[in-house]
Amino acid sequence: MTVTREEAAQALADIDKASDRVYRLKGYHHGAPFFIVWGFVWLIANSVSQFWPDYQRWIWPASVGAGFLISIVIGIAQSRKAQPGTRQSVMDQRVGARMGMTSGVMMAFIATIILIAQPSSADEGNAMVSIFFPFMYMAAGIWAGWRLFAIGLVTAIAIIIGYFWMRDYFDIWMGVFGGGSLIAGGIWLRTA
Amino acid sequence: MEGPDEIIHQSTRLRIAATLNALPSGESLEFGRLKSILSATDGNTATHLAALEKAGYIAVEKDFVGKKPRTRVSLTRLGRKAFERHVSYLRDLLEGGG
Repeated sequence: MTVTREEAAQALADIDKASDRVYRLKGYHHGAPFFIVWGFVWLIANSVSQFWPDYQRWIWPASVGAGFLISIVIGIAQSRKAQPGTRQSVMDQRVGARMGMTSGVMMAFIATIILIAQPSSADEGNAMVSIFFPFMYMAAGIWAGWRLFAIGLVTAIAIIIGYFWMRDYFDIWMGVFGGGSLIAGGIWLRTA
Repeated sequence: MEGPDEIIHQSTRLRIAATLNALPSGESLEFGRLKSILSATDGNTATHLAALEKAGYIAVEKDFVGKKPRTRVSLTRLGRKAFERHVSYLRDLLEGGG
């Protein structure tokens, strides 16, 4: 059997493509549960804000806190899937630690923006915090895969429409379309 | 320089091996997902999996999830080594001009 240089180059390109596809799918599957959890956080907190505004003060910290706790548990569970001591396990731990640090930086950024911009209403604050994430997903999607970009785009459009044209129903709009798009997106990533 | 691995070199089998090699050692992939990654038909995927299994390069596990049959495929140690050898043959060929 003889292999030409062109065939060898083509074969190596096919290998790279197949590996990239697997890494992208693994990324989707790792990310999916986080999207679903935060979709529910968004859905619950916004729905409570719309229908029971008296509870708005505590539902946000409570649901965001629960979201963080569940995310940490999922992250730990995912990092334990790889056999301890293997290269994969070391990589998972590094990725987990960096994801945690990235989340910290993102939260600090949002807190700073809120502090500087001083939103004049709850809707403005809600939109300001919420719009940050879909744009992050879009930016990450450019590198990690088009599905992530699509989830970010749909969510961003939902937030913009809600803020400018659906102000009377803003909270429930954000819950259903913002939270719903994250839940649907998570399920979509899972099936990739 | 060692020669090419004739079993792995075929295009679909090469992509199967590359896909399974990208998974952590010991991790398997469901038949349906593999088929979708390869954008291949059931028959084509099954034929090439059978050739790789016959060579001892992959392990095929069949079980049931509830009442639904499930087929999972993973690269064996022999398969991983054969794949790595084949990749280095291809690289040598390109770099060395062989």
